[in-house]
Amino acid sequence: MSLVLAFDTATAATVVGLRDATGVVRGRRDDPAAGERPSHASTLLALADELLVEAGAQWGDVTRIGVGVGPGTFTGLRIGVASARGLAQASGAPLVPVSTLEALAHAARAAGAHGAEQVLAVIDARRGEAFAAVWDAAGEQLAQPVAVAPEALAGLVPNGSGTIVAVGDGAVRFRAPLEAAGLLVPGDADPLHRVDPAALCALAAAGAVVAAENLVPDYLRLPDAELARRLADHQ
Amino acid sequence: MSAPVLALETSCDDTCAAVVGPGGEIRSNVVSSQGIHDRYGGVVPEIAARAHLELINPAIDDALRRAGITFDDLGAVAVTQGPGLVGALLVGVATAKAIVAARGLPLIAVDHLQAHVSANFAAPAPFEPPFVCLIASGGHSFLARVDERSGFEVLGATLDDAAGEAFDKGARMLGLPFPGGPHLERLAREGDPTAFTFPRGDGVPGLDCSFAGVKTSLLYAIRDLGPQETERRRADLAASYQEAIVDALAQRAARALEITGLGRLAIGGGVAANGPLRARIAALGAEVHIPPMELCTDNAAMVGLAALDTAAVDRSSALALDAYATGERDL
Ligand SMILES: [Zn+2]
Repeated sequence: MSLVLAFDTATAATVVGLRDATGVVRGRRDDPAAGERPSHASTLLALADELLVEAGAQWGDVTRIGVGVGPGTFTGLRIGVASARGLAQASGAPLVPVSTLEALAHAARAAGAHGAEQVLAVIDARRGEAFAAVWDAAGEQLAQPVAVAPEALAGLVPNGSGTIVAVGDGAVRFRAPLEAAGLLVPGDADPLHRVDPAALCALAAAGAVVAAENLVPDYLRLPDAELARRLADHQ
Repeated sequence: MSAPVLALETSCDDTCAAVVGPGGEIRSNVVSSQGIHDRYGGVVPEIAARAHLELINPAIDDALRRAGITFDDLGAVAVTQGPGLVGALLVGVATAKAIVAARGLPLIAVDHLQAHVSANFAAPAPFEPPFVCLIASGGHSFLARVDERSGFEVLGATLDDAAGEAFDKGARMLGLPFPGGPHLERLAREGDPTAFTFPRGDGVPGLDCSFAGVKTSLLYAIRDLGPQETERRRADLAASYQEAIVDALAQRAARALEITGLGRLAIGGGVAANGPLRARIAALGAEVHIPPMELCTDNAAMVGLAALDTAAVDRSSALALDAYATGERDL
């Protein structure tokens, strides 16, 4: 059996996809209720195990591992990446990093993206900021992932004539400034705002393999203590 | 268990992996000291967690290679579940669970404090219960009665700072680099331990202890002496400060031996390296056991040793194992 196992823990959700050789994708997700803490640590591998059982497969059948490297919450990212590195180290399966923002944009494109010409993928970065990047309808990246204030989000999109759709939990959170800038934000409950298992698997299948010990999250932000230290050094 | 255990420990700022044989023989004990916290004057949780993630897999490779085995030879994987920095612990827990999933191995969840106690059980000369155990490090300070290989009864613990933390903070006040314990001990060698009288937490009942008072007293002493006089008497301050901490620990260890009637004492944790503490403990007249220093400071071999006496996590819930930041009591 030849299986792609891909998962993401960059957002509050724990998302797992399993794609078999015929292209069929099974997905599982855990979205914590409002106000609840993410359950990445306790659910990630348990959900993956459930998918394998459902597919009549075993862990040894996983021939490729994809992991969302963010950007997103630091602890969530580390749980995903540590799990992926451990699986790859112990099984020898090749390991592929997947941008969580690209997974959002990929799913939006695959779903037609409301006919949009460009997709702005936005993840809530907390502290009133967002992580975001832009892809066009052909899957070409137009803007690299950055951490920005919500008011600066629309400015990431290159000038164009067509519709621009914004997706992700950050797009929901910062709907007001995005809509004010003329972007299309699908309804809060639209699945386009959630990381999609099939998109993770597709990007994992197509992406470049890296050595497990070289795979790290795309934090996009320095730890607070390091920022403070650099600030102090400047004064 | 008849096959070796791979053990992981990531509760603070050392990324550790070890292989322990079924008879308690330590086949490898790898500690990747992160060495990046000095510049922040203490362990920064986020920075520790990032470093653990980068160091853990190479540490595992190293531990297996030094033990001369591969994943194929393992009988189980053990990991520190807590207490500690939760973001740091989660790197070890996630890694251990992934290995267990990929390899179909049992997972053994180990309590970090039990691991410090179990450091005494290393082959070829395990120190067997019953005994009184004093664990003093940068993260914990407690006295326990150990009657069996698994489990212990807490007799007393610090009410505030850990002993090692008190050493580090005092060292910092005296302008010594982090981690300050060894620096302070070195400076104290040239000083008079009776020059200043710092409190030993004598007002604390039972076998608990407190290091907040000695810390504050040092702060006041430095303030009252002024910069020049403090500089001139640094060694005396260090010696007197160290004496207060060592005396507090030794007094309570002596009382614990008396109360329990056990004539046997084991010590562990990084503070076990302290020369004056060793001298005081040796003078108590008990049978004393101090594991090699690499088993006293945080390491994964002690986690593997604890795992030998701990039941594996039930197979159905192993992959859902989560870390815990604090135990039943802050020790
Ligand atoms: Zn410790």
